[in-house]
Amino acid sequence: MIICNEIERSGRSVQRHLARLLLFFLMEGIAALLVAFAALFVNLEPAWSAQSPGTAVIGTGDARSGSLLLKTGDGTTEATRLGIDVDVTVSGPTIRARITQIFRNQTPNWVEAAYVYPLPAGSAVDSLKMIVGDRVVVGEIKERRQARVIYEQARQNGQKAALTEQQRPNIFTNALANIGPRETVLVQIEYQEAVAQTGNEFSLRVPMVVGPRYNPAPVVQSVDFRADGSGWGSTSSDPVPDRDRISPPVLDPAQNAAVNPTRITVHLQAGFPIGEVKSHHHEVTIESPDPATRIIRLADGVVPADRDFELTWKPLAEKAPSVGLFREHVGDADYILAFVTPPAVEQAAQKPLPREVIFVIDNSGSMGGTSITQAKASLIYALGHLQPSDRFNVIRFDHTLSVLFPSAVPADAEHLGTATSFVAELQAAGGTEMVPAMRAALNDPPDADNHYVRQVVFLTDGEIGNEQQLFDTIAAMRGRSRVFMVGIGSAPNTFLMTRAAELGRGTFTHIGSVEQVEERMRGLFAKLENPAVTGLSVTFSGASADLTPSPIPDLYRDEPLVLAAKLDRAAGSVEIKGRIGDRPWMVTLKVANAAEGKGLSKLWARRKIADAEIGRTLRQTAPEEADRTILALALEHQLVTRLTSLVAVDQTPSRPAGEALKFSQLPINLPAGWDYAKLFGEHTQPMSPPTERRAETGEARAQLVAATRGLPVVTGAAGTVTLPKTATDAKLKVMAGGMLLLLSLMMLVFNRFQIFPR
Amino acid sequence: MHRPVILVRVLALVGLLLFGQGAYIHAKALLAQILLERAFAQAISSDRHTKPWSWADTWPVGRIEVPRLHASAIVLAGSSGQALAFGPGHVELTPDAGERGVAVYAAHRDTHFRFLRDVAIGDEILITRSDGKAFRYRADRTAVVRFDASGIDPLTEGYELVLSTCWPFDAVTPGPERYILHATMMELPAAREAAPQLNRPSAPRMAITR
Repeated sequence: MIICNEIERSGRSVQRHLARLLLFFLMEGIAALLVAFAALFVNLEPAWSAQSPGTAVIGTGDARSGSLLLKTGDGTTEATRLGIDVDVTVSGPTIRARITQIFRNQTPNWVEAAYVYPLPAGSAVDSLKMIVGDRVVVGEIKERRQARVIYEQARQNGQKAALTEQQRPNIFTNALANIGPRETVLVQIEYQEAVAQTGNEFSLRVPMVVGPRYNPAPVVQSVDFRADGSGWGSTSSDPVPDRDRISPPVLDPAQNAAVNPTRITVHLQAGFPIGEVKSHHHEVTIESPDPATRIIRLADGVVPADRDFELTWKPLAEKAPSVGLFREHVGDADYILAFVTPPAVEQAAQKPLPREVIFVIDNSGSMGGTSITQAKASLIYALGHLQPSDRFNVIRFDHTLSVLFPSAVPADAEHLGTATSFVAELQAAGGTEMVPAMRAALNDPPDADNHYVRQVVFLTDGEIGNEQQLFDTIAAMRGRSRVFMVGIGSAPNTFLMTRAAELGRGTFTHIGSVEQVEERMRGLFAKLENPAVTGLSVTFSGASADLTPSPIPDLYRDEPLVLAAKLDRAAGSVEIKGRIGDRPWMVTLKVANAAEGKGLSKLWARRKIADAEIGRTLRQTAPEEADRTILALALEHQLVTRLTSLVAVDQTPSRPAGEALKFSQLPINLPAGWDYAKLFGEHTQPMSPPTERRAETGEARAQLVAATRGLPVVTGAAGTVTLPKTATDAKLKVMAGGMLLLLSLMMLVFNRFQIFPR
Repeated sequence: MHRPVILVRVLALVGLLLFGQGAYIHAKALLAQILLERAFAQAISSDRHTKPWSWADTWPVGRIEVPRLHASAIVLAGSSGQALAFGPGHVELTPDAGERGVAVYAAHRDTHFRFLRDVAIGDEILITRSDGKAFRYRADRTAVVRFDASGIDPLTEGYELVLSTCWPFDAVTPGPERYILHATMMELPAAREAAPQLNRPSAPRMAITR
């Protein structure tokens, strides 16, 4: 019975043990679930690594929506935000624009912000205002180095300071020092410009973004031979010595929302009843207070700064006025501005002169996206319009060069077919080495047939940093060729285009969208096929005059002659003589009939400065003499140039001593239609062999590619997508954990049962 | 006699921890998707980046559904480890679904893309973007590739989709191979240009006149 009792007792204790076992496992199960849920609320990620003092590094989790983060090596920082307001007033022939840049510092630090932005190539920047709260500080024109010194000193002292410098005639930088924590500072600049006219159409362009430039590596030394053919020249090492100043970080549109919201308002008072008004790349609303005035605003209110704003208008009457004369009295001199459009003389019934046309097309990475489509369409249109008596050749370039035929061939069906398929197959990739392409195009062997008119049609977006080298090439090698530049895309380098066309005695046509191709190429062909107005000369009777442009360039069909002159008195008349084809042409304008204009003195001074720069490039004036002329004109008329800058300093220091100043380079958008991967693909090399990204560690990746720092973008083999690691060790852990639990259970049971049989 | 008990307790504890960690990964994935569904519904209606919870460093950008399998998951921006723990991620530098090129979504084989092994060629995949637009894709190809030689060029001319996860499905340790399911959009969007546009008419045809 004892055995029975024992068994009974042990039976009950077995039951108790089993019950306790079950309870034990139940508790374990609950604990496991609790651990799982608790883990959701515990962030087990490693903390951000130590940051440099004075830098506010925030985790991406701290970002509020809508803030712009710059990822750097040790975390992310918030960028200063920028808003832009553009107010343009067109009064007859002149345009006055006021650009207000609103810098908003969203960090708790003192910040120095820098912004790189474009302005029209012929604009005269003459005014800078810095607005802090309700205080307005007016800027002064100073010689460039002096302005920089003043700015740097103010920056050191903790004073608010603004500096506007010209990097190229169409690229400017604004630097703004000592913006306080959470503070907003406004910088306002104003410029003057002349209205552009082509035939019946008047236009203005407000560029909004600087396209990323290809800056050739400094390893290549460029050689400049003197134009006097003496065989001696000089080498220069870096084609783009100031590459740092014209290369702001560009945001990848696939990863970031567009930045730099811009508002545009245009008050258009053309001076004659206005017909059609058109904005080519933005939707606008147009009000008409009276027949000769329009107010144009963006339909969306605010747009990102990613493509140029182009506005054209036509007169209500059938024909545009072919003559315009305006004058202004400033100081002790009179300034006049004259627009004269020569009559369009129709070609006589004889056959037009046979032409030799060399087409050059840019297929670099910056043309990727919509630009290469526009360029190809333009070129195929052009090929289709060649006469059978013409000769042609096609050159394509990126950082390499290919010439389709060894020399110019007749434009017959077979050659045109080959050329058309060659062009149709072009892909955009690679760098932009424009100088060798221009050299190849201008290469005109001395035994060539001279009764062909030689024309070079150059299709590009002009996004290079070594513009001066290109100008030097054209100046040295132009010979009898005429260079016609076709600017492609939403943000072309118009300074390069206009200066290259001036030096090459041709014209500049801009094509900003595929819809514009046919119309604009037709216009270009009208210019190519019809005789230019040559041999232009201007005489003033009744006053002595300082005339610009000098020498007067040839005019193409539909192009007006725009003259600016400084007269000692507003009397007498202006007589213009020239030849259209082989027919003489003459027109006389009386100064007394001129209407009042505004800002004409600045336009004259700006044009004189451009003349001096061209003289310097053509080696007709010595560099020092050209610089002296430019500096004198700039200081007299208060203009920002290569040698002068605007600087504004607030006298009261605002940043307390001891506070660090953080530098913030504002990023810009990629120009609309560009292809980010094709553009920055040319710089990619894998930083390290691609490793699988582990699920636990977060990598700080540079989301902004700063061309100046040359940070490569990490990609897998040959630009294919690297697939992330998508396997957790959940299963392994569950299995291992389960096994261990099972093992412990077995051991427990085994132990229990072992102690029973005694 | 105590040593075995201590050993048992230690083993039990370790087993519990491991089991718990494994369970938490699944629980995290499950719970996150619930919060993400709410955030995604908000994102569609409000057109802003809606954070699913306040310390999240990512936000929902779309929903993947396979109607035949009744499978659905909310996709997050980016494909960092953080994002993938909560849902499928949209691999960087690939376009969004509905845009030209190849949109690539990746997720863990044992949590959000567990259904991927059951997707057959010809199945319909529905992607709803955070702006409300929905696009239908048909699965047409599967492949097993190395993670760094995927052969996926995100900038093709067509409208394509790739769903990617680790291979083989039943392994317990991670490896370098990925299973990709390729799909093509079923109906092409009407007359779209590659560039962002403001209601411009479609491009005129360029004809060679001779």
